[in-house]
Parts: sequence; C-alpha cells; structure tokens
Amino acid sequence: MSRNKGFEDALRDLDTAGRAGEGGETGPGVEAEAASHPTVPELRAKFGPAILHHSVVAGDEHVIRVALENAYEILAWLRDDAAQRYDYLKDVTAIDWGGGRPLELVYELWSIPNARGLRMKAAVPLDSLYADSVASLYATADWLERETYDMFGIVFRDHPDLRRILMADNYAEGYPLRKDFPLRGRFTRAEQTRRSLDFDLADYYNEQELSVIDDVARHHDAQRQAESAP
Amino acid sequence: MGLNLPTVPSGEPSFLTTRLDFVVNWARRNSLWPMPFGTACCAIEMMATAATKYDLARFGMERMSFSPRQADLLICAGRVAYKMAPVLRKIWDQMPQPKWSISMGACASSGGVFDVYSMVQGIDTIIPVDVYVPGCPPRPEGLIYGILMLHEKIKGETLSNVGLREEDPDRVGRPNLPAGVVEELALPFGNSTQQNQVSGLVNTRALARPSDRQP
Repeated sequence: MSRNKGFEDALRDLDTAGRAGEGGETGPGVEAEAASHPTVPELRAKFGPAILHHSVVAGDEHVIRVALENAYEILAWLRDDAAQRYDYLKDVTAIDWGGGRPLELVYELWSIPNARGLRMKAAVPLDSLYADSVASLYATADWLERETYDMFGIVFRDHPDLRRILMADNYAEGYPLRKDFPLRGRFTRAEQTRRSLDFDLADYYNEQELSVIDDVARHHDAQRQAESAP
Repeated sequence: MGLNLPTVPSGEPSFLTTRLDFVVNWARRNSLWPMPFGTACCAIEMMATAATKYDLARFGMERMSFSPRQADLLICAGRVAYKMAPVLRKIWDQMPQPKWSISMGACASSGGVFDVYSMVQGIDTIIPVDVYVPGCPPRPEGLIYGILMLHEKIKGETLSNVGLREEDPDRVGRPNLPAGVVEELALPFGNSTQQNQVSGLVNTRALARPSDRQP
C-alpha cells in the first residue's frame, strides 16, 4: 500500500509542527512563507497590518489571523475579488482555549472556482464578546452564527435573527462550550427536568410562527408579490 | 377501569373477574400497537426488529402506530435531550389508556454515556416506564425479550385493580418523579454543579471571567 508524498508529509507534520502551529498552548505558531498560499500576499498588500499572522497546520491548511474589527471587510473582499472568489463559507465557529485567553472566532472558507481553502481566525476579547455578523455576505452564516452565539455567547452585530438554535429558548444556564461551563450544566438535574418540561413554544412564538401551513402560504404570497412587482 | 366487578367476601377477585381478566389481558398483550419514539441508533435496531428476520408481527405488533392516539406501547429508543423531553411527555399524555412503555437501551434508561448538560438522565424522570431493555444498542432479541416481559406483566394485571389505569390530570406535562428522587438518581455525582473540574475540585487554570450573560 503506497500513499502519496503530500499525505506522508501531512502525517509527519501532525506529529511535530502541527500542534504548535494550531496555537492554543504555544501561541499562534510558526509564520509561514507568504508565497505558500496565493491569497495571502494579496491580502497583505490590501489590508497590511490587519493581517496579523499566517501559519500552516496539518500539512496544507492555511490559517490567517486577522484583527476582529477588519474581519467583515476582509471576508467581503475574499468573497468578491475576481481572483479570490471564496464563495463558500464552510463553517463559522469559535474556540475557547480557557485560562483567560480570548475566544477565537473561526471562519472556514472555500473557493469552489479555485478549489482552494483558507481558515480565518479573529480573537474576541472576553470582556467584549461582540463581532460583526457576516450573514449579509453569506446566507449560511445566519444559522452558523446563531450556533456560535448559542454555544459561546458571542453576540453578532446586525444579525437578522440572533436567537439560540440548539438549546431551548428558555435555556438560562449560560453557554455550554465555554471552558468554564460545568459538564453537567449549572442547574441540578431536577431543575433541568422541571425547566425542560415547562418549556412551551407558545411562550416564545406566536400562532402564525408555529403554523407550518401559514408559513407556506406566506411564502407563496411573497413569491406572487415578487413576481407581479416589476 | 370504572367497572364494579364482583369479588368474593375475602376481597379476592371472583371466578368471573379472573376469567374476564384472562380474556382482556390476552387481547391486550397480543395486539400491542407500538408508538416508535426513535431518537438514535436504538431506533435502527427497533426497525430491524420490525423487519422480516425478527418480525414483530408475530406478537401482534405489525402496525407501528405513528399516531399516539392509536398506540398502546411507547418504545423510547435512543437518547432524549432535554429539548426533546416535553415532546416525549406530550406524546405519552396523548396516548389513551391502557398504555405501557419500554425504555430501550442505555441512554433512554439512564442517560448512558451522555452524562452531560443537555441529556435527560433516564426517561423515567419524564414518563413512567414498564420495561427497561439494557444494551447499547440492544439486539433485536433483547427488545423482543423486553416485549415478552411486558406480556408477562400484562398477564398479571386485573380489572379489579381500580386505580391501575387512572391518571391525575394535574400530572399532565409534569415530571414523572419528584425533584428529590431525580436528584437521588443523579447520584453518585450528586448536585450537578458540584462534580466537575471547573467546580474547583480540580484546577483547570480557568481564570475568573465576565459572568455569562443570561439570555
């Protein structure tokens, strides 16, 4: 059984440099050669100091660290620039490294035309967990940002509908994927059981929102209006 | 059952009652209509149980009832999240008497390996359970054994036990067990905020941080 060389290199990197490159315990890792990814030199030319760091992990995964306040415009440029066309946002999530370090907001990008990936990270300080929503750039960011809000408590500005998505709407124990969140939750099992059975969708949604049939009808109405408008 | 059935002076059920019990229980146990509440991998085994090789139809269960109104037996197959708990309770409340329930697999019976913030630690905190089937997931033989045990349980029921099928309207939508018992069942871990690393028993180097904003 023979593996190709790139795969072998990637495996070796995982053993040695991979961990360090990922950051966390040992910081952002070794600065990668700028020319190793076609997008990075152009990003540096365009945004300069907003691109804080560039590293390679697990063989060929390129990670750039950017300033949080520039994340939106960088993503907009990556999506719209004719040479980049990162048109697919694979994931938005966050990492809590614990120990008082800032949360790390992660954007996984993929360019379908260029068959190229890029990971973008931005540090979110613990005393101000706010970030700009990119739902206006990528529609998929809507639910991904809701999940990140639900699990980490990062509030996305200008998000169209920032609610919890995995936990129930009446969940009041905090944000489960934070390092300081107790594994079994903050409330007792009896309290958790009581609260879960107390949850009533009607307390949070009106009748129209709860009705699938009305929803479909509304959708058709909107479509008809859009067709007859011009 | 609001029937006034004849008893002999000693309080024992009379011959007539026991014969009626026999017929009623025979009919009930041989035409259980299961309401499949499949939430995880146990549901795959439940489907295998219903398929040709194991063939649940042998026990009068060929009709999986996806409507709780036409079901006698709730088979909870798989882990139940707290977000799913009100759904499970509502389905149980919607099923008409007589009704039974089987908790299939480790997760439904006790939370299994999912001893975490989001998971119900045994569905008996939510609804009453007649038979617990262990396994992760149980093989179809295990589920069938559980069903046969339920048959034995149904055989022992009697119409002269007036309170057996009564339901308290106040309990609808409420936890099946009192809070103290739920806490006791969560042992040996006890209070859920007192047993993990962040509680301070083990130092994780997690520093104090701004308190979580409550939604």
